Amino acid sequence: MEYDTMMMDGESLGPSVKISAADSTHVDFELSNVDLSFANSLRRVIQAEVPTIAIDLVEIEVNTSVLADEFIAHRLGLIPLDSREIDQLNYTRDCDCDQSCGKCTVTLTLHAKCSSDEVMKVYARDLIVGIDRPNNHIGNPVITDPEGQGSLIAKLRKGQELKITCVAKKGIAKEHAKWAPTAAVGFEYDPHNKLHHLDLWYETDAVAEWPKSKYAEWEEPPAEGEPFDYDAVPSRFYFEVESAGNIEPDAIIQEGIKELQRKLAGLIHGLGENDDMNDTYNGPRSPDGMDGGAPWQDQGYTTPYAGAGNASAWGGGGATAYGTTPYGNSGSAGW
Amino acid sequence: MCATWPIPNSLQSSDSIQEGGPKVNALSGRLVPPNTSDFILLKEDHTLGNLLSEHLKQAPHVLMAGYKVGHPNVPEVMIRLQTDGTVTPREVLIDTCKQLIAAYGQLGREFTREYELRRMVAAGEQENGGKP
Repeated sequence: MEYDTMMMDGESLGPSVKISAADSTHVDFELSNVDLSFANSLRRVIQAEVPTIAIDLVEIEVNTSVLADEFIAHRLGLIPLDSREIDQLNYTRDCDCDQSCGKCTVTLTLHAKCSSDEVMKVYARDLIVGIDRPNNHIGNPVITDPEGQGSLIAKLRKGQELKITCVAKKGIAKEHAKWAPTAAVGFEYDPHNKLHHLDLWYETDAVAEWPKSKYAEWEEPPAEGEPFDYDAVPSRFYFEVESAGNIEPDAIIQEGIKELQRKLAGLIHGLGENDDMNDTYNGPRSPDGMDGGAPWQDQGYTTPYAGAGNASAWGGGGATAYGTTPYGNSGSAGW
Repeated sequence: MCATWPIPNSLQSSDSIQEGGPKVNALSGRLVPPNTSDFILLKEDHTLGNLLSEHLKQAPHVLMAGYKVGHPNVPEVMIRLQTDGTVTPREVLIDTCKQLIAAYGQLGREFTREYELRRMVAAGEQENGGKP
């Protein structure tokens, strides 16, 4: 690697990253000095929980095309929309507004009618993005082809018409794959299968029959007759992240990290970590002290708390509710 | 859209026992060993479950850590954690979370540095390549 000479180890312990290839839609890197669960959580989070924006509601006023309404609605949902600086957009369920507003949705309209004898193609570029949005790029259809057309939505014959209003919302791929920021994520480790995490099928010789990964030359092949190391664990992971176009590949990684940190911080908060408050009664802890809800109110794990878990009003405001509302005071009633 | 589960996680914790012999779990009614806590993270999955249980195992004073996602359609993960009694499971869990936040923070900085470095190198190469 040509960058080896430039490696100045600022933080010699802990995760280290080596980028082997990058362009506007890809980033390939090696993540080392971490364990499998750490790397895998990063992979899972960038594939399923980095928020993006996608069309979620479709109102069809006129559809005289040959395609069914729901078919077109589905196609619209899958169009990648520019999701950079998604932090500026609220989740609709957390927003202060009644149904939808410029802080939590982007409206796109489509009106196309074929008047010529030739078949007319309707592309993502024909979507008109509403002006009421947090910044002037969020929600724009992603157009990367040289003709500047974007995804094909439908084809119309003479006289056929489409008149559609779409509402794009923020979401994550765990709910629907249309919100995925990644098109494909490669995740690979132990190219020589030294750890035997794979049981390779073979006719006569697994080594001869299975093609080597391109990362095989990055790691030492097993020595002849080397005994199996039962204690070995993987520590170098090869990621190949491909963006769907809505967020740059490096931003996907950064957002994924942020999302994981948010989750962990939420957990600390949920455990009632509040140093000054807990120290006072930390000594001989009663078993119930463990309960996340108990320090705040006796309700602890009775119904109100459990119910609050899935009520969106609490889920969304959870981060601040305890600190700012009267609950913050009742917490100090511990002493 | 009916699904509402990606809301930031909230948490349930069942009864845990710090001292004395085995007691009955307040939620499940089963017998649990001392110094053991079950944590139920709502709206979370293997992403946090595996990450936390693997790292809890490496923490000092931890005798046992494990997790399960009871059913793929039920958005919750249960983490069971047993310590040797010098620290409570809750303290270990909080510590581990803090360490992981720091580790991911470091990964973020490391990634940014490498990415910027690469961008600079690429820009330099382009400049040189453009000249005859």
